[in-house]
Amino acid sequence: MDSSTASILTEVFFETIGYWYIIVPTIFLGLIVGGIPGFSAANTIIILMPLTLALDLQSGLVFMISLYCAARMGAGIPAILVNIPGTAGAAATPLDGYPMAKQGKGQQALAISFVASCIGGLLTTVVALAAMPILARVGFYMHSVEMIVVMLFGISLIASIAAQDMVKGLIAGFLGLMIGSIGTDVVYATPRGTFGFLELYDGVPLIPALVGLFAVSEAFVIIEKRVIVNHDNEPKAPNWTDTFDGVRIALKRWVHIVWTSIIGLVIGVIPGAGASIASFVAYQQSRSFSKTPELYGTGHPEGLIAPEAANNGVTSGTLVPLLVLGIPGGATAAIMLVVMQFHGVSFGPSLFENQPKVGYGMFMAMAVSYVIMFLTILPLSRYMSHVTTIPTIYLAPMIIAFTLVGGFVPREYMFDMYLALAFGVLGYVARRTGYHVAAILIGVILGPLLEKYFLWSLKKSDGDIMVLFSSTLGNILWVAFAMSIILPIVFNMRRKRKLEVPAE
Amino acid sequence: MASDPYKPPRQIGGELVIPIIAVGFTLYFFSTIWNSPWTAQVSAFMVGGILLLVCAIFFVRSIIWLRRGEGTLGFSNLFTIDDIRTGRIGLLVMTIAYVMFIDYLGFTLMTFLFLAISMLILAKGRNPVFITLISGVMALTGWAVFIWAFDTRFPRGWFETTMKAVLTNG
Repeated sequence: MDSSTASILTEVFFETIGYWYIIVPTIFLGLIVGGIPGFSAANTIIILMPLTLALDLQSGLVFMISLYCAARMGAGIPAILVNIPGTAGAAATPLDGYPMAKQGKGQQALAISFVASCIGGLLTTVVALAAMPILARVGFYMHSVEMIVVMLFGISLIASIAAQDMVKGLIAGFLGLMIGSIGTDVVYATPRGTFGFLELYDGVPLIPALVGLFAVSEAFVIIEKRVIVNHDNEPKAPNWTDTFDGVRIALKRWVHIVWTSIIGLVIGVIPGAGASIASFVAYQQSRSFSKTPELYGTGHPEGLIAPEAANNGVTSGTLVPLLVLGIPGGATAAIMLVVMQFHGVSFGPSLFENQPKVGYGMFMAMAVSYVIMFLTILPLSRYMSHVTTIPTIYLAPMIIAFTLVGGFVPREYMFDMYLALAFGVLGYVARRTGYHVAAILIGVILGPLLEKYFLWSLKKSDGDIMVLFSSTLGNILWVAFAMSIILPIVFNMRRKRKLEVPAE
Repeated sequence: MASDPYKPPRQIGGELVIPIIAVGFTLYFFSTIWNSPWTAQVSAFMVGGILLLVCAIFFVRSIIWLRRGEGTLGFSNLFTIDDIRTGRIGLLVMTIAYVMFIDYLGFTLMTFLFLAISMLILAKGRNPVFITLISGVMALTGWAVFIWAFDTRFPRGWFETTMKAVLTNG
């Protein structure tokens, strides 16, 4: 980094700090919209577009970035406390976050999530800033063949989830993949499995699926208990100990935060890939190389750290192709592109020469937002965790009402509310009979993407299946994928053998 | 191996619901792509084929459990008479009503009615004043945040229309 860049960064840092009066309220707004399924940073920026456009360039930029970061972190809060991910990017968070809340460790889980999110976000922002030219090229090398392997990394999580009952887990996962295939095919637009509903021609919308499978079904299950948290684990009076414990647990696993957030960053720079893929891949990788994989799904801190660090790593990743190439890495980045172009900012390689303060300013806004977010939100975890002690007779109807209308928001079709209800019934049946709803959701989210990349690959090669092994990077990823499947089995066998030796 | 006499038998009927839905849906899906181009078929046949195979394994496993007397074709893991007592059926009826009537009554009024009646069902009629109050506050907060402040296109009824007229004309 030369001295002029350093001086620009220092100048931008202090300027951004000066916008604290925008950042702090936006963080709270972001946490709310991130926590309600159906709302997200993207549609909130759209709703508040007149405000965003009326602000000057720097203020608008700080507003959008801090909203983006806060919404990403906010999505994890209901995922931990009530098993309802605010967005698809937080769909892997409840796998270990919710069991912690049920054990009376909600406050600790929130603190772990906040630390993982903030450190993950902050670290990847710095890495993205330093390695921007290299990262920007990742998108060029990731073609459909390579993306297939990335998708398989995420989908293989189904097998991990299915570990307790492999047949049931696979049924849930493959049913999800089939549901994800609903809609028109990506090449000839032939409608498939739509039951004649035009609303399904674009595929199954994610938010109604998320709302139904997680929120509605959970509401029907929790009414069996007086409160969410288990009777013998009811939290104590508000105290700082659990928060500090959570911070300590997360910091102790700093290596875990670093490598899972880097997974998020790398997936984030690929246009079209998103936080949901990153969080599933990070969770799967974290479990695969853990010394205690059997603890995953029971309230293991590492199972919470991985998806939270990864989905916040995605936020800085999506900015890289936007700023360097002018290609938005996701929906929010696409809206940012529109707003910035309104202000006369032209993206691409020339941005850092012509308007360096805008380019660096976006990363600096992200870094400052994460720091302020950490300081403002962490103290609140002691109060937020008490959601788990609200009697379920009040909580369940509220969850149903506000998440069902959340299912309506993205497309504004009444059909989507019915769809959320149908997924709710499916989710309830699945929960009561021992099928994992997360496995169904992984299929619904990643299935259409896998099919899209698979068909593109076959189309490009005139149906030759060997195209899947035709690129060097793809082959490296295939080997890595095979290793990530085989090595944990080998490690597990070695561990079991070591445990058996003293017994003999 | 002797089975635990105190342990209720496995309710295989309930466990078969998801595989039966999966098989039914997969066959329906296949019927919609039978005459389609290969691009529409290839992925669905692969995924659907594996799903049918896994379901078949589960069906065989279920038959073995039934023959060994390790389970019954019961559904008590899914529905019991307790579902009426706990208010689960009532909540389900209210949820269906919420989705059906929100388009006519609007978000605020329907949310208030849904919250109040559902909570009363679950609370078995206790604390009606508190429940009415909390339902009203939640519905009005929802209106203020989502419709008044954010101007989202939530379903609108007479309450929203009246409030809009009041706020516009003072």
